[in-house]
Amino acid sequence: MNRYKREGVATVDALHKGNGETKWTLKEKLLLGLTTQQYIIQALRNPFNWILAVIFAIGLPLIAGRFLFGLSWVTHSSNDYPWGLFLAFGLFGMVPLSSSSFQLGTAVEIFGRHDMEPIERLGLLNGLLGYFFAVCFLLVDLGQPWRLPYPMVVAWGPAAVLFLVAWHVATYLSVQVAEVSVAFFEWIGFPMGKRGVRKITLGLTVAGIILSTLHQGALGALFTYAPGKVHPLWYSASFQWLHFFVSSIPGGLCMVIVVSTIARKTMAWRCDERFKKNLDKLTIALAKGASMGLATYLTIKLIGVAHDNKWEHLATGWGAWYAVEMVGGVILPLILFAYAIRNNKVGLIRFCAVLTVVGVVLNRLNTAMIAFNWKMAEREIPHWREVIICITLYAIYIAVYRFILARMPIIYGWKAVEETVPAVEPATGNVPTQGPVPAAVGSYRSSVDEAISPTGYISVKE
Amino acid sequence: MKRRDFLKACMLCGAATTLGVPRKGWGAGSFEGYPEGMGVLVDLTRCVGCRSCEAACNKEQQLPAPDMPFDDQSVFEEKRRPTEKAYTVVNRYETKQEGGPVYRKIQCNHCNEPACLTSCFVNAYTKTKEGAVIYNPKICVGCRNCMIACPFNVPGYSYSSAFNPVVKKCIFCYDTRLKNGRPPACVEICPQEVLTFGHRQDLLKIGHERIRETPDKYVDHIYGEKEVGGTGWLYLSGVPFDQVGFDTTLGNEPIISNVKEFLGTVPMVLAIWPALFTGFHLLASRKDHGEQGHDHEKKEEGKQ
Amino acid sequence: MYAVRNWLIGGFVMLALITAPTASRAGNVPDSINLDSLEQLYEKVTFNHAAHIRLVLDCAECHHHTTGTLVEDANCVRCHKNSGATTVVSCKGCHSDQTFSAAALREKDKNTYHMDKLGLKGAYHQNCMGCHSKSGGPTGCQDCHALKKAGQAFYNTGAYAPPQAKGNKKHSGH
Repeated sequence: MNRYKREGVATVDALHKGNGETKWTLKEKLLLGLTTQQYIIQALRNPFNWILAVIFAIGLPLIAGRFLFGLSWVTHSSNDYPWGLFLAFGLFGMVPLSSSSFQLGTAVEIFGRHDMEPIERLGLLNGLLGYFFAVCFLLVDLGQPWRLPYPMVVAWGPAAVLFLVAWHVATYLSVQVAEVSVAFFEWIGFPMGKRGVRKITLGLTVAGIILSTLHQGALGALFTYAPGKVHPLWYSASFQWLHFFVSSIPGGLCMVIVVSTIARKTMAWRCDERFKKNLDKLTIALAKGASMGLATYLTIKLIGVAHDNKWEHLATGWGAWYAVEMVGGVILPLILFAYAIRNNKVGLIRFCAVLTVVGVVLNRLNTAMIAFNWKMAEREIPHWREVIICITLYAIYIAVYRFILARMPIIYGWKAVEETVPAVEPATGNVPTQGPVPAAVGSYRSSVDEAISPTGYISVKE
Repeated sequence: MKRRDFLKACMLCGAATTLGVPRKGWGAGSFEGYPEGMGVLVDLTRCVGCRSCEAACNKEQQLPAPDMPFDDQSVFEEKRRPTEKAYTVVNRYETKQEGGPVYRKIQCNHCNEPACLTSCFVNAYTKTKEGAVIYNPKICVGCRNCMIACPFNVPGYSYSSAFNPVVKKCIFCYDTRLKNGRPPACVEICPQEVLTFGHRQDLLKIGHERIRETPDKYVDHIYGEKEVGGTGWLYLSGVPFDQVGFDTTLGNEPIISNVKEFLGTVPMVLAIWPALFTGFHLLASRKDHGEQGHDHEKKEEGKQ
Repeated sequence: MYAVRNWLIGGFVMLALITAPTASRAGNVPDSINLDSLEQLYEKVTFNHAAHIRLVLDCAECHHHTTGTLVEDANCVRCHKNSGATTVVSCKGCHSDQTFSAAALREKDKNTYHMDKLGLKGAYHQNCMGCHSKSGGPTGCQDCHALKKAGQAFYNTGAYAPPQAKGNKKHSGH
């Protein structure tokens, strides 16, 4: 696509084509403004697509096989380790990384940090796709996935933590769909939908925080059902849910850093000037949030060890593994973040973000699989088909992510001539506005090459 | 008006911090089992490992044919656990005592406050008044949370079924026997009367009386009397319980006690977060008016 | 000479009579008893009562005090110090073969010591095998009673054994 852009092919970034008279058709929007032939050529040229093709060729039949032949075909049918890689990685691992939507939504809409708007939509999309694919992993793992609606409509077990998780994730997915629908409606050209959603954005965001706090914590609380089975260093009788909730904060923010870095590098043609100009600054801002999250997380993990007096476990083999997770995933990023933020080293921040993401996923894998049944002699090593299906589903997630980023106005602003759409208070006038502007939250004004006029933004000066 | 909202939010937070402090449920009470609840006392000093109980269960519950005959003794070389094909198994333990190896029958313990029941999000499990913990396979979604929760690692899952996999475990022969007042199949077949069937309250008396009469024969403890809130199936042993595969670190609290702290936090968050974060938003969005006010004052001072 | 022999014979006879278990004097002690309560699965047991009398000598080993022997067990003496013979001596006379039926449970007087009384099958096996394991008698199931066809099907053994082909240790659930 970079090559096409250099050759002068126009990309889709407004309802109307460059001449302002004809509208892009849906097909053109889907094909990124290219002809079908051009689209196929650029798809075939991309080496990443070859990798995806191989993964899909192997993995998609395996996924079909899981449903045709049952779980015994793709797992070791373990009764001692009922939860395997699908849940430990796909659900428990992806959910904390998807907390970015409630964090960035809160930052912008609740706390008024409009300077973070260029990255807000990416955070929202990251959250939506992460949760959606976590549910896909769940559907692969459940014995009878067609009974997924049962806790909603057939039989209620409200005392169960999983009941809360089910309801919250379902509700939260709806909230996230609504939040991302703003970008979708812009792209589709349905301004009424966008206006409608913007009116309830504050309520959606508050609902998002409530639901996120509870189900991020609830996923941790699931392990309080098995107090003796999770190794004491990963288990806290009183604070398990807090550990999971707090670790999702740096997890989500760092995931946004990672994804934005990848998007900036591999989809530079799609990023607009506002995104490119602000990305480094916003990366530092996200890193600040992540550092605070990491520092808090480290503290509460130590409190958890102290509270139940588990210090002696640190001197064991398990303790060494715990140290690897904490040092590599928490302490090292924390120290390096501090240095990098101070000295504006954005590259180092990006590296630390990867460490943090890996650390959070490792924590979930440890709690759910590796340090689970620690008293038993054998560790469960997942079936090879289970591993391949995980990789395949994750590849589908990446492909869908890329598909949406290339089309919808997430990392670029949609050029529009319609009026601004403030979130709460009624619009006070047309764009651009002068003088004091009420908190017109998250409105997209017509973008020109430069950054948007600072009026109305609480700009961040370092 | 906004200040009042803010103060309200503060008060709620303050109240929440005092209420939200987790403590053991003083008023929560405990469940000793239904008064008419049945149980089984398993006396490990009597078991000789004939595996008739496994055979009887297999026939009564119409389980698939086993891989090895039920009178085969080589299965004892490995430690087994209940699975979708075997709701009960017997394991052999070599101990230091002279009487020979100890055999232990493993099956669902039919707890008073079952962890499986509390963890099921479609309420598939029921503790019947006869004491059995049974389940409804028609609504089992297959989340396998009950398998995670059971401290005794009892429920199995029929992974081998592609289109109707469900959780599988001992149901105390409820449908075919217990409901009609009859003892389960394993109890009836046992030649050594290892399994004594009766009301749980009576079994506790019998168990303690056996220990009292022949104190050299038994460890002075009935496993399951108090563990995880008490179980319907109780065990007597002649050797320390941890030597024959029992988990002696479980404690006396039912599993639900671990989870109650979090479950109590849930309504608190649902109640407090809306006001808290709306309050933050109101605070954050007043900024420009506030700044003007301060500037205004500064200008006033400057003038003076 | 003949007088000494007669005295010796008489002395031995008296000695034998005195040392012989009291029950043998009762006269209606069966020599052989058929135990068939497990007839659905097992052939009946032809119990050689006479041989056991010869081997065990003390009736109390199996019959507690019901044949009139002295009670010695500390737990029993408390109540049965002066208990003598009873009218019913057979095992099944006191040990019910339906010991866990709802009716039996209802009837069990919850305050009596014998609330923990074994059922018939448990009494046979614990009594018989308890002694056999110490004295070297038969302890295997089929040593005393052979499996019938129905029994073989029940235990999935013999003619009904599963094919040994598959690796049956693999998915043991671990």
